[in-house]
Amino acid sequence: MRPPRPTGGWPARLAIARRDLVEFVRDRRAVFITLVMPMAMYPLLALSSTLGLRTAMLELDRRQESRRLDVVFSGADAEALATRIGALAERAEGRPEGWPETVTGRVVDPATAQAVIDEGAADAWIDVPGGSLAALDGAETLALAVRLSAFRPPDRRAKESLLAVMRSLADEVRLARLRRVGLPATLIEPLRLDFSGDAPASSTAAVRDILPAITSAVLVLLALLTATGAFYPAIDAIAGEKERGTIETLLIAPCPMLDVVVGKFLAVFAVTLATLAANAVSIALTSSVLGRFLPGGIAVDLRAGDLAACGLLTLVAYVGLAAVAAALCLTVTAAAKSAKEAQNTLTPVVMLIAALAGAALVPGVEARRWLPAVPFAGHVAVAKSLLATFTASAADDGRSSGEAAQPAAQVAVAVAISLVSSLVITSLLLRVTAQLVGDEEILFRGPEEATRGLGRPAPRSVPTAWQGAGLVALGFTALWYAQGLAPPEFVPALIVQQAVAVLAPLAAFAWWQRVDARETFALRRPAASWPQAVAAVVGAALLGGGLFVVGAALALATWRGEVSPEAKQFAGQLVGLIRGGTIVPAVLLLAVMPAVCEELFFRGWVLSAAAGRRPAARRAGLAIVAQAAAFAAFHLLPERMPQTFAVGLVLGWLTLATRSLLPAIVAHAAHNATPVLLVALATDADLESAVEVRGGLPPGSVAVAVGCLAVGAALVAFARRTRDRDSEGP
Amino acid sequence: MIEVRELVKEYRAGGGRAVRAVDGVSFSVADGEMVGLLGGNGAGKTTTMRIVATLLVPTAGVARVAGHDVRTDPIGVRRSLGYVSATTGVPDRLTPREVLDSSGRLHGLDRRLLGGRIAALAESLDLGGFLDRPCGRLSSGQRQRVSLARALVHDPPALVLDEPTSTLDIVGARHLFELLAGLRADGRTILVSTHRLHEIEHRCDRFVVIDAGRIVAAGTRAELVGGRPGGLEEAFFATIAGGAA
Repeated sequence: MRPPRPTGGWPARLAIARRDLVEFVRDRRAVFITLVMPMAMYPLLALSSTLGLRTAMLELDRRQESRRLDVVFSGADAEALATRIGALAERAEGRPEGWPETVTGRVVDPATAQAVIDEGAADAWIDVPGGSLAALDGAETLALAVRLSAFRPPDRRAKESLLAVMRSLADEVRLARLRRVGLPATLIEPLRLDFSGDAPASSTAAVRDILPAITSAVLVLLALLTATGAFYPAIDAIAGEKERGTIETLLIAPCPMLDVVVGKFLAVFAVTLATLAANAVSIALTSSVLGRFLPGGIAVDLRAGDLAACGLLTLVAYVGLAAVAAALCLTVTAAAKSAKEAQNTLTPVVMLIAALAGAALVPGVEARRWLPAVPFAGHVAVAKSLLATFTASAADDGRSSGEAAQPAAQVAVAVAISLVSSLVITSLLLRVTAQLVGDEEILFRGPEEATRGLGRPAPRSVPTAWQGAGLVALGFTALWYAQGLAPPEFVPALIVQQAVAVLAPLAAFAWWQRVDARETFALRRPAASWPQAVAAVVGAALLGGGLFVVGAALALATWRGEVSPEAKQFAGQLVGLIRGGTIVPAVLLLAVMPAVCEELFFRGWVLSAAAGRRPAARRAGLAIVAQAAAFAAFHLLPERMPQTFAVGLVLGWLTLATRSLLPAIVAHAAHNATPVLLVALATDADLESAVEVRGGLPPGSVAVAVGCLAVGAALVAFARRTRDRDSEGP
Repeated sequence: MIEVRELVKEYRAGGGRAVRAVDGVSFSVADGEMVGLLGGNGAGKTTTMRIVATLLVPTAGVARVAGHDVRTDPIGVRRSLGYVSATTGVPDRLTPREVLDSSGRLHGLDRRLLGGRIAALAESLDLGGFLDRPCGRLSSGQRQRVSLARALVHDPPALVLDEPTSTLDIVGARHLFELLAGLRADGRTILVSTHRLHEIEHRCDRFVVIDAGRIVAAGTRAELVGGRPGGLEEAFFATIAGGAA
């Protein structure tokens, strides 16, 4: 008997990748849109923005050069002082920094001076009373009242110019006084600086200051455009094959489904990398051309060698991004029946990538700690750090980039974390894709399923995984708009946020999707008998309170007081609310309301959608992690995410363990109520000393919290055991 | 040989309700035999064939191809099987030669062997005139021949063809069945389904009639038709009506 030929593995993967790439290359429109268009887009963008920038710089310099100072004098000695200043203005030498191009002075009566300054016809009005000149020529200090015009365009340079003129006058008076007493002029001039070279114009310096921000924005744009490179080949890879009827020939290929998906991924990844390279080359070439349009001084930072190095470093940082984008696009389009359906599913991907990549622009977000592991945000942050470190070392003064450059070793660790994280995420996504491609319900579902649209589906016991993801996407969108809709006051803002971002999307989905509310939201007693149910609830409360204290201790130890201004503001608002009112409304607002709303949302809808009705252990674990990640992301502030993720894990476990939402609500409320009670009961001195604590919480309180966690977990486990025993019955 | 025993396939319909598309189907196709699987739309033919081709996993029962079980050894089944369906397409932007080359590589054929197989298939299926023309510019008959060549590129002992003539005109359909007759003569096992009974009436060795997921009749043409006037088509309608009664 003839032995079977070896199939599968890398030969099969490469055969599929080769086939897909040949198909892609022969689609001229796709090649043009994916690879050629970026080469034309950057020059157009750069040309329009550079021309605008150049015009702005020229205007800035023109205004700087044409600076003039108009002063009106009044009072008995006005004429004499104006003459002295006029004589100073005629001397070209010895003018201090900030001296205006021209100085004009008029002597008028006080009423006229008032009118002139009110109309904005002069920059300043100086009242010079009689005896002022005598004071100057004597040994006294002359105090003059100066009023600046409030009607001229707000310009600090008027004040700076006047100060420069008056400094010159003061220097002249000092020298005269020294001469009178026979002392040398060098007595008040111990140091003189003679500058040479050409200091950059102020507009050039201003543009240099914003170059890091421009670079960051370009990196986000590059992340988005790189990801768009994956769109067309990903749509064509699976949904396109389904539409053309060629998917069956791949599904019966003699190799595991993962080999087919990896082959598809290699093709999409290759195109995404090519898109990244095309974009990077276009950016580098555009930047080198850009230097010619900008005044000298800026182009110093844009040497060809540096640009090539920056391009290569960006490629290193973005290889992982290209892999994750390619895998993500494959995953989300794997469930689509047609190219059109796949295009629709990619729209939320664009939003997700834009949001994550844009998060790296937030001040203070750097490629440190766990951030490099976050897809897209981490990639942009790592690229920022790489470029900042490189430009700092290239300039050898650490200042040319304008960014705080990280040590090279720290950046290397960040790059490694980013690459490993990308590899892990890509691998997970490809495994999910293999599951989706081989899913019979997706593969052979009829057109009526695909075209159901917004119609209400048949009733279900719990939502599907897609319905869970849909609610999270809608919740995030609503959360974004809630930030703009919410009033500036803290309390109404909290209520609007919960109503708009949590309750409204949840109510809409629950009505639309016709799920069984009892199953979906686990509306049942947490244990069979009342004593065990009480044990579950008490245990949940202890878990919630303990989690807050332990989480706060870990957060303080991790961040060591380095929290963002937004986090400080949030903490300040909380303390203000709690200390400014009575405790019951504060507990209702900060603990009970979010506990009920967010538990219905995350541990109700999202968890039941991810886990299914009676999940196996593996799916239950994945579901708990998925909803906890969404819960953490919902809390927006990066400092809070690790703690909210851990809380989400515990609340998810509580819900699945007791098959009831009540313990999660109680634990959530206890978690949020703990700081409210602590702040309410603390004295002002306690709060002040707490603010000073940077190393962590007192060990005693942490020990008590750990004890609460242990007792709480034991109580819940006790209640869970009784439930398991009951569910085994007939 | 293709062997199907007590095959069951359930789908989940809306609301989680289970629908049995194939309900205890059993039949076999011997080496060198061509069997026609007959039935109306929704009878369970395509589901059965997809299970045999490892595209679907059976809920219960056994399906084997050349001794390989679809559930425990799907890779072995795929090595032994060529599959063509009415919905099977060919990539528009690839040439037939590239389609065959890609499929052959997936089956582990080396370059030398693959070149020989493509040349042989081009001759036997008359692909020579358009072997290097993009598939998008081929007629439906030519595309179906490419599809068949792709199913044969790894020289499988068994073929499953689900309504292979539904997109062909009468000339193309006749040509395809002449090709299948040649393949059967080579000793291949062929399971084929079609709605056009006259096309296979005198070409298949045996027939299996399936209705609502169950086999309602099986046998040679003579056994099914008996003394009934009107041939296989009338026998089929009578069987369906009897099965439904």
